[in-house]
Amino acid sequence: MLEKGKISSIQAIMLMISMILPTAVLTVPAITVKSARQDAWFSIIIATMAGLLIAWMVVNLGLRFPEKTLFEYIEDILGKIPGKILGFLYIWWFLHMNALVIREYGVFLATAVMPDTPIIIFHIVVVAVAAYAVRNGLEVLSRANQLLIPTTVLLALVFILSIPNMKLSRVLPLFDAGLFPIVKGAVVPASWLGEIVTFAMIIPYLSKPKEAYRVAFLSILLVSFFLTTSILEALLIFGPNLTGSWIFPTFNAVRMISVGNSLGRLEIIIVLAWVLGGFFKIGVFYYAAVLGSAQWLKLKNYQPLVLPVGIILVALSILIHDGIVDLLDFLKRVWPPYALIVFEAGIPLVLLIIAVVGRKGGRKIA
Amino acid sequence: MLKKIAFLLLLFLLISPLEGCWSRREINEIAIVLGTGVDWTAEGKLRLTVQIANPGAFVGEGGRGQEATNWVVSAESKTIEEAERVLAKMVPRDLHWDQSIILVLGEEMAKKGTNMVTDFFQRNIEPREIMWLMVAKGEAKNFLETYSELEKTSAQAAGFLTRMKTGYSVQLWEYAEMLASKGVQPVATRVEVKEVGVTPGLDLEKMTPIHKQVEISGVGVFKEDKLIGWLDEYETIGLLWLKNEFIKGVITIPSPSESNKEVSIKIRRGSTKIVPEFDGENLRFTIKVKVEGDMVEQQGREDLAKPDKIKALEKEMAEEIKRRAIVLLQKAQGEFGVDIFGFGDDFHRKYKKAWRELKDQWDVKFAEAEVNIEVEAYIREISLLGKRASSPEK
Repeated sequence: MLEKGKISSIQAIMLMISMILPTAVLTVPAITVKSARQDAWFSIIIATMAGLLIAWMVVNLGLRFPEKTLFEYIEDILGKIPGKILGFLYIWWFLHMNALVIREYGVFLATAVMPDTPIIIFHIVVVAVAAYAVRNGLEVLSRANQLLIPTTVLLALVFILSIPNMKLSRVLPLFDAGLFPIVKGAVVPASWLGEIVTFAMIIPYLSKPKEAYRVAFLSILLVSFFLTTSILEALLIFGPNLTGSWIFPTFNAVRMISVGNSLGRLEIIIVLAWVLGGFFKIGVFYYAAVLGSAQWLKLKNYQPLVLPVGIILVALSILIHDGIVDLLDFLKRVWPPYALIVFEAGIPLVLLIIAVVGRKGGRKIA
Repeated sequence: MLKKIAFLLLLFLLISPLEGCWSRREINEIAIVLGTGVDWTAEGKLRLTVQIANPGAFVGEGGRGQEATNWVVSAESKTIEEAERVLAKMVPRDLHWDQSIILVLGEEMAKKGTNMVTDFFQRNIEPREIMWLMVAKGEAKNFLETYSELEKTSAQAAGFLTRMKTGYSVQLWEYAEMLASKGVQPVATRVEVKEVGVTPGLDLEKMTPIHKQVEISGVGVFKEDKLIGWLDEYETIGLLWLKNEFIKGVITIPSPSESNKEVSIKIRRGSTKIVPEFDGENLRFTIKVKVEGDMVEQQGREDLAKPDKIKALEKEMAEEIKRRAIVLLQKAQGEFGVDIFGFGDDFHRKYKKAWRELKDQWDVKFAEAEVNIEVEAYIREISLLGKRASSPEK
């Protein structure tokens, strides 16, 4: 096996949270609120259902082929050539998604924190550090994440401090927008929660694979909880009209905190969570792309791929979009069908059906 | 060893985005803006005025005592950013908006439309969304140029006055929220420069001329982003009540049996509930106000510390509140024809289907609506005196 490390279930949950949450907290609220308005939290519930379903599919598949990752069992299910083609597409998807994440990471830092710094500096810095983590393997990545994820708790504390700014009437009346906008608003968060597909790369390295279901479901539920919290944070403070106008509503909501005229300017905490969380998010997808490529190429060692993939990531993240308008438009319109329907739900579903019908895979799950 | 070096190098890389050495600005390289004003000039240009702190003068006794605490500069241009660039040529340091407490719009600017201005302050990261938004009677420039007693600068004075909640105060984001909603039209604090008080010197010749001081004097009423009128302080208190914001106000009512003598009631707390009723045709609002107050002053000599007298006072107090509310409602429905109270938002919460049809003509509907006011008033405390402790009863 290429990866010799094993991670515990707790570490896996934390890693999955870091993999989905950071970009979701900042970019998803505005997109969802624009469509579902004050019922955006309900959109998240719908998205959670989709996320749980995808998580179930991925774990079900993974457990049929113990000790194998997505790239290995895809060939077992579909045969060599189609398996290779789909595997290649997944490598592309991991790279593409990561390039988007890196771009979001840089865009936020460049617009909200350091406007004079060229965006590529952020990209190079974060990819370089992620490369080091990925080279050291899954265990190192998970342990570092375990150490630093408590910054999310800090974020929750900051949200508590903003309670005086909140008014419940801002999220009323319920179900004002109607069903269609709510469902439409659920699409983007669902495509985020669907990133749990990447869990397929990690299942073989769980120290207790039996707990894979629990890990996947708990990760989705916790992410949804935090996502709902951050959407409500913005909605209860700004109301649906204003929340939809900001690009990073949670950031603005945190900027508003001023306790007793002395404790204020806490937005650096959201920046801190972003810098650390973003790093792990990038790290996980980076790892998935590197490990997947190595398995696709049947290499004995994935380390030689770390550097070239990193260079591709930095270059791609710069080339992929012209600017933030382009990026957000892509995330809103192209990303959901492309990621959610094809890579997150479509292909895993087809694989699962073929595996079940063709009775492929080692054992049936309890 | 090599691994350790590589590790340290990477650790350094990871934290480098957090400290921000790239675009750092030291405190002696920035000009801290305390207050910002925007006027619309007669030539049809925007005039940006900034009040810049002179940090040396803030140090107090140990510092350079007698210096002016601030410096006010203006620049005219087509947009705010462009005006800022013009200012950059005059101000030898980088303008730093982070500490700007207030954003004052001149009267002409507010009439022209606030959208031209507020976007800049929301879009950019330095100005904060918790700036107090104000409309100056006259020019914003005059307002910022005013010297303030007690506080160091007029911007700080205005900031403190709003923070003390002596009148209606609104932050930039609240204004934006009101502007974005169809169920409420925005209002913003009105500020004025007035001549108030003198500073007595040791001998009369050194007495300073009459001070000009900033003052909060009611609110400006907007229809969408354009200023259409004013409410004075008296009406503003009513506006606060109807918007369910109770500040430390005073109600003065005549004494029950001595109508030429007054009694002051200090408002402690209160709440307002707005109940919309709609039958598809007629629109009616019932406003339920509940106020609690303490009697703090009595001019007359009758003994008010009796349950029936307090009941009479409470009734009088309720009447007074009702009167104020009616005057204000008539003004809003008649003269302005805009819903500054947010009745539309309350209506939206109760009748979400009907709202979809009414929202685009809400101000018309609001102006036609029937409004009932029910006031419950209570007097809880009468402070330290029971009955008046002066000249004996006849």
